[in-house]
Amino acid sequence: MKPPNEFAAHIIDLGLLRGASMLVPRGQRAEWWREWYGELWQARSEYAYSGEFSWSAERAIAGFCLGAFQDALYLWRQERNLGRRGKTPLTLKFGSAWQCLLLMAALLGASFTVARLLPGVRAERSLWRNGVRSGLVLIEDVNNEDSPRTISSGQYRAWKDRKQEFFDGFAFYRVTREQVNWRPVEDGQRESAGWGVGRASSNFFSLLGLPVQFKGTGAGVDAAMPSVILSESLWKREFGADPHVAGRVVRVGLRWATIAGVASEGPWGLPGKVDAWLLEPDSQMVPASAGYVVAHLSASGRSRMGAAQIQITSYAPHRSPDDLLGISLGKAMPRQWDVFWFAVLLAFLALPAISSVSLGDLSVSVHKISWPRRLCRWGFLGAKIVLLLPIAYFVSLDLAYGFIGFNSTDALYLQMVAAFFICMFGMQWVLSDQRQRCPVCLRRVDHPVRVGQLSRTFLAWNGTELMCMGGHTLLHVPSLPTSWFSSQRWMFLDSSWEFLFAGPVRE
Amino acid sequence: MTADKNSETKLSHTAAMILQAVDAGFVYGFSIMEMTGLPSGTVYPAMRRLERDELIRSQWEKQSIADAEQRPPRKYYKLTAAGRVTLETSRRRYPLLERLIPIEEARSV
Repeated sequence: MKPPNEFAAHIIDLGLLRGASMLVPRGQRAEWWREWYGELWQARSEYAYSGEFSWSAERAIAGFCLGAFQDALYLWRQERNLGRRGKTPLTLKFGSAWQCLLLMAALLGASFTVARLLPGVRAERSLWRNGVRSGLVLIEDVNNEDSPRTISSGQYRAWKDRKQEFFDGFAFYRVTREQVNWRPVEDGQRESAGWGVGRASSNFFSLLGLPVQFKGTGAGVDAAMPSVILSESLWKREFGADPHVAGRVVRVGLRWATIAGVASEGPWGLPGKVDAWLLEPDSQMVPASAGYVVAHLSASGRSRMGAAQIQITSYAPHRSPDDLLGISLGKAMPRQWDVFWFAVLLAFLALPAISSVSLGDLSVSVHKISWPRRLCRWGFLGAKIVLLLPIAYFVSLDLAYGFIGFNSTDALYLQMVAAFFICMFGMQWVLSDQRQRCPVCLRRVDHPVRVGQLSRTFLAWNGTELMCMGGHTLLHVPSLPTSWFSSQRWMFLDSSWEFLFAGPVRE
Repeated sequence: MTADKNSETKLSHTAAMILQAVDAGFVYGFSIMEMTGLPSGTVYPAMRRLERDELIRSQWEKQSIADAEQRPPRKYYKLTAAGRVTLETSRRRYPLLERLIPIEEARSV
């Protein structure tokens, strides 16, 4: 009878073997299991012969069982390669180069998937797809002395109602400080607070192209009530970023309204500090109130508006013409793509400061590499760079929008910094990896050996030697660059070295 | 695989050591592991390769013998003719091989 500890360890060992056997092709599994079961018995009788439980013995037996996975993997690979006989597997042809590219592609896929799932990135994408904000203009009354210059609702109506050639959309808003109750009626602590409320035309958000997040389903919402869109900062501050905020009823001044969603402040820096937007039709607009007008340029308006500002004269019957000024809002914030390319440019400029851009000296050898091999080498380098750039783009997006909401300058700054560092250190890795790849087979050289002594630098060569496991090359890396040995050198091995290397299949 | 072809075969040192161990009379996986000091994850896949290349062949022990010794049956490995030729070639390439696992000594154990 085995002691309980030993029995438990034996069960774990059998579990390991059973797990490994799952990798073995079905036809060979029974025999494989029989052999390993017998060998485990042998190992246990050898290591745990005393009959007493010993951790060191159990560790040795577990180590023995773990080897079964390598054996099972070998059989699995052999089975897999049977179907590929006649073709040279890519891993044999290009060594770990192929695996390196696969790994980078996997990283790219993962970062792309995360970027697709992040709400901030999705909102930015839909924002740019919409294309409205590129033609937005803020309209000001030139004769107004206020700062920023407002426009009266009367002027707005008179101008809007005229036939327009250069504009195809308008929205008016005015900002007031109002008392707002937002706690539930049954809540004893119901209280009010002063919010900056932007009373805006009902088409305000569709004109700006700002997506409204966390929209309600509409169930239980009184359609007759006006809608309130919360700003992102207020939503976080007062509602604890509750994603189910839509549908709640609030009292804005004297009117009841329903929260319809959350929107960010937008990239334009529109005048007025707004905590929430109360959307109401233009017909309910308070007469003679002063506010701001945002207009959208039509196709012909865009072609005419070459500068950042445009003079507009509004003619209306029974009143003198109004001189208005249109200020473009479209270029207030750079695009993610532009920010990324700027970061890439900076990273490439900074790269020589942190790393050598040389790929090592091939010219000292009499051995000439064939053109297809050279092409493969350069193609591999190019493929790594091509994969690195989208990885940097998507990872920087993940970092920027994983923690910060969309339409924020902070997110853009974070994206730029992240993209810069990823590109710079990524390129450093790409080059150092390339320097350590055999020019013949693109495997990474391995088994570093220290040669020489540092104290004899000026008498003899000293540095590190690395070997290509395919038996093609030796890489000499000087530990101290000198005038006669300034950078790493490749030594190509001829057939006389072959006896040291087994073929890739027969290890 | 013919003997002529095998005489050209070059084995890695690990594979040659396992071949030498089998020739020396260590004829099942665990005993080869113990003799060579190699881990199980190296020895067993190497033996699969050697068997695939027909340098060794395997045979199950009779159940009655295993039953008599109250243990599971073992899978024994044996050198083929091709394996013997390859081992000779390997011994010339790795002269220390015979000193690592001397056949006379091993057979006397």
